[in-house]
Formats: sequence, structure tokens, C-alpha cells
Amino acid sequence: MKKKIISFKAKMLIFLAVMGPGIITANVDNDAGGITTYSVAGAHFGYSLIWSFVPIIVALIVIQEMCSRMAVVTGKGLADLIREEFGVRVTFYAMTVLMFSNLFNTISEFAGIAASAELFGISKYILVPLCAVFVWWLIVKGTYKSVEKVFLLACVFYVSYILSGYLSKPNWNEVARSSVMPVFEFNKAYILMLIGVVGTTIAPWMQFYQQSSVVEKGIKLENYKYSKLDVIIGSFLVNIVAIFIVVVCANTLFTHGIRIESAKDAALALKPLAGNYCFYLFAFGLLNASVFSACILPLSTAYSVCEGMGWEVGVNRRFREAPQFYTLYTAIIFIGAAVILLPGVKLVPIMLLSQATNGILLPFVLIFMLLLVNNKRLMGTYTNSRLYNFISIFVVVAMISLSVFLFFAVFLH
Amino acid sequence: MNNQINLNSIKKEASGMFIYFSRLMDSEVIDKNGCLVGTIYDIVVKPTEVYPQSSILVIRRGFPNRKYAAINWADISELTEKETRLKISQSEIKFKEDHNNKEELTLRRDILDQQVVDTHNHKVIRINDIHLLFVEHSLMVAHVDISTRGLLRRLGFERIADFLVGLVNKNADYLRKEQLISWKYIQPLSINPASMTIKVNVPEKQFSNIPAADLGDIFLDLNIKQQVTLFKSFDARTQARIFSHIDFKTQKLLIEELNDKQIVEILNNAPSDEVTDFLERLPKEKTERYLGLMESKYSKRLSQLLGYSNDSAGGLMTTEYLAFLKNTPIESVLAQIKERVFKTEPAQFVYIVDENNRLVGCTNFRRLMLAPPQEPLEKAAFPKIYFVQINSSVKEVAYLMEKYKYYAIPVVDDNHILQGIITVDDILSQLISFAWRRLKKIKIIPKSKST
Repeated sequence: MKKKIISFKAKMLIFLAVMGPGIITANVDNDAGGITTYSVAGAHFGYSLIWSFVPIIVALIVIQEMCSRMAVVTGKGLADLIREEFGVRVTFYAMTVLMFSNLFNTISEFAGIAASAELFGISKYILVPLCAVFVWWLIVKGTYKSVEKVFLLACVFYVSYILSGYLSKPNWNEVARSSVMPVFEFNKAYILMLIGVVGTTIAPWMQFYQQSSVVEKGIKLENYKYSKLDVIIGSFLVNIVAIFIVVVCANTLFTHGIRIESAKDAALALKPLAGNYCFYLFAFGLLNASVFSACILPLSTAYSVCEGMGWEVGVNRRFREAPQFYTLYTAIIFIGAAVILLPGVKLVPIMLLSQATNGILLPFVLIFMLLLVNNKRLMGTYTNSRLYNFISIFVVVAMISLSVFLFFAVFLH
Repeated sequence: MNNQINLNSIKKEASGMFIYFSRLMDSEVIDKNGCLVGTIYDIVVKPTEVYPQSSILVIRRGFPNRKYAAINWADISELTEKETRLKISQSEIKFKEDHNNKEELTLRRDILDQQVVDTHNHKVIRINDIHLLFVEHSLMVAHVDISTRGLLRRLGFERIADFLVGLVNKNADYLRKEQLISWKYIQPLSINPASMTIKVNVPEKQFSNIPAADLGDIFLDLNIKQQVTLFKSFDARTQARIFSHIDFKTQKLLIEELNDKQIVEILNNAPSDEVTDFLERLPKEKTERYLGLMESKYSKRLSQLLGYSNDSAGGLMTTEYLAFLKNTPIESVLAQIKERVFKTEPAQFVYIVDENNRLVGCTNFRRLMLAPPQEPLEKAAFPKIYFVQINSSVKEVAYLMEKYKYYAIPVVDDNHILQGIITVDDILSQLISFAWRRLKKIKIIPKSKST
């Protein structure tokens, strides 16, 4: 009996040591763009989109688990593997698109910071540069371990959305029912919204980031099951938070028939309906999510691009040793923050560009992943099982058709 | 870099003798009747000599159902950038679904785009292109290219980029300098899946020329699999050298991949202070097990060292030192020093003890050499001896060493029996980590760039 308790304790300790990449990557998914999408989904369609989060959880787990597995088995990042298996040309174009897609994403994160600055009544000309400097300083001066702790702390702050969900006093029975009973409306707005919700959840940078950070952590094969658990917990957490965001907006804005365009509108509209606390929690959640994602996106970009092109990588090298890494990292943060501060800049085209570049890249990344994960020379006995392949191919095909659809929808709109 | 300068002059004389692998890749292969059989996919090389020589040409055809065929080098009549002509006809070539022979070393699969160790510049690099040399009829791997220009060549932008750079600055480094590294310095990391060994082994001499600290740095740049496989390919001495310069996480990982005999060999060969640092952080039962496996004399000393607190003199000291009885003749001392094999470079001090191993004095190599050889060792001693107790703090030790300008200071127990010595580098690493915590300004990244 006693032995069992100790072994459970030991297991917990191993999990705590392995935990991180999956939870962090999943949580960054609820970034400024994600929060906006979920708020609009809740405000315009009520609870009727909640069911879509169940398949999203499955898709997220399937895709991210493959990245984790590749990282543990091969000890290499996704960009590394793509370069080594598919050559430099493919890598170069993939990295170029990834860089632009992440740059647009970063801009929208800084837009989220600017929006929350306005919600708190602070000038964006103060908060945006401040956050940019903080983000830069955190990575350049930190080590992998210390940065990961900060990131995990940021994950905890997502609780603010769950709290604001409670404060809006939803009808829990109905929330539960609509999450298991799919309702489908056949109109253009609903389908576009559905694609938007799914599309924001799985972005190409996530696969690169997750795989690199598992490699960086040096997780061993025998502890792989804990890494898997990390991915599963992360995927559930992120979608629970997303459901709460939808619930808050559905419960207040939808019932009053208020139309919104952004997360900022949502927060402002919440103030008279759900009270000041709910408003502040929602606004704080937006700030936290934006800063958190603004940390990870530039870092992930610099890592993947340098990995793929064979340049020196790492935050624990000096500028002279890894010039491309630091230049990329700094430039993305600088451009991201500067664009937001330009007077008269329009955010909608940037958001659309980011979605479009994501949509172009995602099919390729997912296909590469499937090819890599089934390559016996790389993965040995850890290739996908037949059932897993069936599920993952289904998920990949669904994701690809959604992103292609979204891509055309964005441009035909 | 001498080899680069030589290369440039040779190249001017005989341009056309060299060819980049990227230029050959995907070029057409034509049989003796002038029919197109496929395109070049890969080249299998024999890693028998210093510079591997081409032995088989792998060609492929068809899309998306690719088929591959292997062609013996002897069947090639002419090979140029534009096309390759064969001596045989299409019907003699057998195409197969697969071309992977796991044991062979091939350029595209195992070298191009892969990470390798550059033992000349002590770095892990990624290869952008391979520079091949025509020797008689076959090709030889002469250099690897890691430059941006190589990258652009692969992307098909080399001419445009050359033109643009030429517009700005005709003498740009980009155009003049070729970042080619001679193959003899390259250690490929491609792993043979059958035997789990590295496919080509650079003569170990290349690695033994690299300072241990740099070797440790290179090691930390590799991934787990490469670390394990490369590590296994070294002899115990090099393994011990690397072992004392990598972090605990990597140490533990490597140890877990080795068998008991190999582990013991490493632990026996590494300096005692590094070994204790390592054993200290392992779970108790593992520490006991390794100590039990090691030479009894050495493990006794180690377990003693393990008992001391980490920031006391006892925890810092090493047990590798030179000590002789006080009445030993100086010439015999010198002779013994010459004969002994050291794990690490010893500090320049010789300690003088009595029959009970009690510390009575200290001298250095210079004094020994100047003293009359017949005299007993005692006579060469410094007038005064400084030492610290086993439980002295790091600060005390540092203070004494600074005050008397000693590179090493002896440690004694309560009975004045010599237990070990603390060298200045042990103290320095303590002080640096102390300063790091306080200032966070000093960055310890001792990577040197020799390019």
C-alpha cells in the first residue's frame, strides 16, 4: 500500500518535470485573435457553437501529440526534420510563409495589448512599447527554465475567463446540453463562424513551437506518456477557457442582441450587463493572453527559421554567435509593436492576412507531419498505428479543407 | 585557415575539377542509346579513406510513383553538370520502389542538409552543399559548404544574389571568400540504424585536439541520439574528458545508455571532484552501486568526498595531488613525477608529508628543479605552509588563496592529515556562480570563434 502511494508521488513529480510544452502551446492558442473569435461567436450565435469544441479538442490532441512524439523519439525540431527529409527548398518557402504568418499574428497580439490598454484607460503609446520591451527582455535575459515558469504562470491567469464566466451566471444545464448536442444552422454566417472557431484553434506555429520546446526540455522516451498527458491536459484547458468566453458573451450579449466586432467591444458591452468585476476580469484576460502570445510567437519564429536554415539557435548565446536568431526575434517584436502605434493603421486586413497565411501553410505542415511521423527510419516502432493514422488523416483532411475554405471565404468576402 | 587559401589557388589552376553536389542533383541521366533513364538522386560513397569516394549512383524516375535504381560507378561513361552518360542501356537497369540501404553512407540522405560536427572550428553546423572533386574517373568528397551562398545556390538564387552583391560591392567577402570546410575535419552524425553506431568515424585524433570544454559545448548542441552514439564511439579517456564538461542532465542520460563496465571506466578516468559532483546528485542507491563497481581504493576516497558539504573545503577538493614522504631524495621525487599519468593537469605544487601522512610542508616544481638532487625533499620546502580545514567555508578558502597568491591549497583534517587539494579553478567556478546570482551580468559563454 505504502509503495503504491510513493510511486504515485514519484509519477506526479515526473509529470511536473515533464509538464510545460503541451500546456503552454495550447494556451497560447487563446490569444487576442482567439478571444475575439470566441467573443463574437458567443455574442452572435449564443450557445449554438459550443459543441464544436469537442471535436476541436480531439483534433488538437491528435496533432500536437504527433509533434511531441516526434520530438521525443528523434530529438529534433519540426523545422530540422523538414529540412533533413524534404530538403532546403521546401524548408525555405515554408519558413518564409511561417515568418510572415507569425509576424501578422504578432501584430494582432500587440493590437490586443493596445485594446486592453484602452479598456483600462491607459494610453496605448505607453503600454505597447512597455510590453514590447518586457517581452524582449524576458527571453533575452531568461533561461529556458525560468521562461517556462513565467509562461506556466501566465496560463494560470486564464482563470480570469472562467471567473468572468461564473460572474455572468449562465444556465449550466443549457451549456452542458449544447456542448454534447450539435445543432447546425445552414446559413453563411454560421458556417463562416464555425470555420473561424476551428481555424483559430490549430495554427502552424503551434506544431513548430511544441516540438522545439519538447526537444529543448530533453524529455526521454520512457517519460513519453507524461508528455502525452501534458498535451491532453493542455488541449482540454484551452478549450474549457474558450467555452467560458463563449458562455460569457452568449449569456450577456447574445440575450440582449448586442452585435460586436472585437474582444474590446465585448468587454465594453459586458460592463453594464455583468458588472465591473466581470469587465475587469475579461479585460485582464485579454491583456494576459496578448502579452503571453506576443512572447511566444516571435520566439517560436526565430527558433523554427534558424533551425530550418541551419543558423545558430538559442537564447543562451550571445548576439555575435547567433546574429540571425536575435535579429529575427527583435525585428518581429519591433515591427509588431510599431505597426500598432502607427496612426490610422487598419487591423482587419492584417487579421485577414494572418488567417490567409496560416491557411496556406497549415496543409503543408500537416502533410509533412504525417509523412515524417510514419517514416520508419526516423520513428522506428513509434510510427502511427493504423487506427491512429486513420484518425489523424481524417483530422488532417478536415483541417485542410476547412483552412482552404476559410482562405477562399476570406478573399471572396 | 590554411586549407582555404590553398584551395583557392588550386581552384584557379584547375577549375572544372570541382563540382557542387547541388549542381548534379536532379540532372539528367542518359543511357548509351541516348535515351533518358532518370535523374540523379543520390550518390553512395565509400568512407574507407580520409576523403570518401563515390561508388554507386542512385537515380530516380517517375512522379508521384517514384522508382529508384542503383548504378555502379564503372557503368558511367561521362559525368558533367549538364548530364550523365552511361555505358549501359536502359534495359539493363532495374528500378525498385526503395533505394534505402541503411548501412551505406550517401550524400543526400546522410550528409546534405544534416548536422555535422566541425572539428576544426569546434561547432555543430548544418551542411548547405557538398564540394566534390573529380579524381580520375570518380568523385571524392573534398569539402562541405556551410555558407549563405551555398544556401542560395540550393534555392536557385545564386546568380541573382551574386549579381546584386556585385552591384553594391565588387570585393564583398560574400563573393571572394568561400566558406568551405575540408572533409577531414567533418564528423558526420548519421547513425547506422542496424548497429546504432556513427557511420563514419573521424580519426579520434581530431577530437583529442579539441579542448575538453569546447568538446562539452559541442556535445550540448547535439540531440540525445547523436550524443549517445557519438559518445559511445570515443575511448574511455575522451569520454571522461567530455563527461567532466557537460551538465548533470546530459551526464545522467549518457550514463543510462552505457553498461556497467563502460560507466566504471569513465568514473575511474574522470577527475574525482567532477565524479563526486555527479554522484552526489544521483539517488542514493545508484551512488552506492557505482561506488561498489569502481576500484576499491578510488571509491573509498570518493565516498569520503561525498560525505562533505558542497560549499566546504572538503566538498570542493580533489584527491589528485602530488605528495611524498619528507625524506625522499629530490631526484627520486622528480623521477616519480615524470612517470605518473595524470587525469588532469596537476597544479605545480608538491606536498610533503610524514610517515602518518600528516602535512609538513609544500614546494613547487621550480624549487624542486633548483634544489640539489641528493637532498631530502624537506629541504626544498617553502618556509611556511598554508592550509585549510576540511570544514572551512568557500569564502575562507578563496580569501587565503587570494592573499597568498596560491594556485592550489592543501586541505587537512583535525589530525593534520592531508586529505586533498583545492585548485584555483574549483574556487573560480564557485565564485563565478556566486557572482552570477548576484549580478546576473556576467555571461559565461566561452565559445570561441576561430573563423
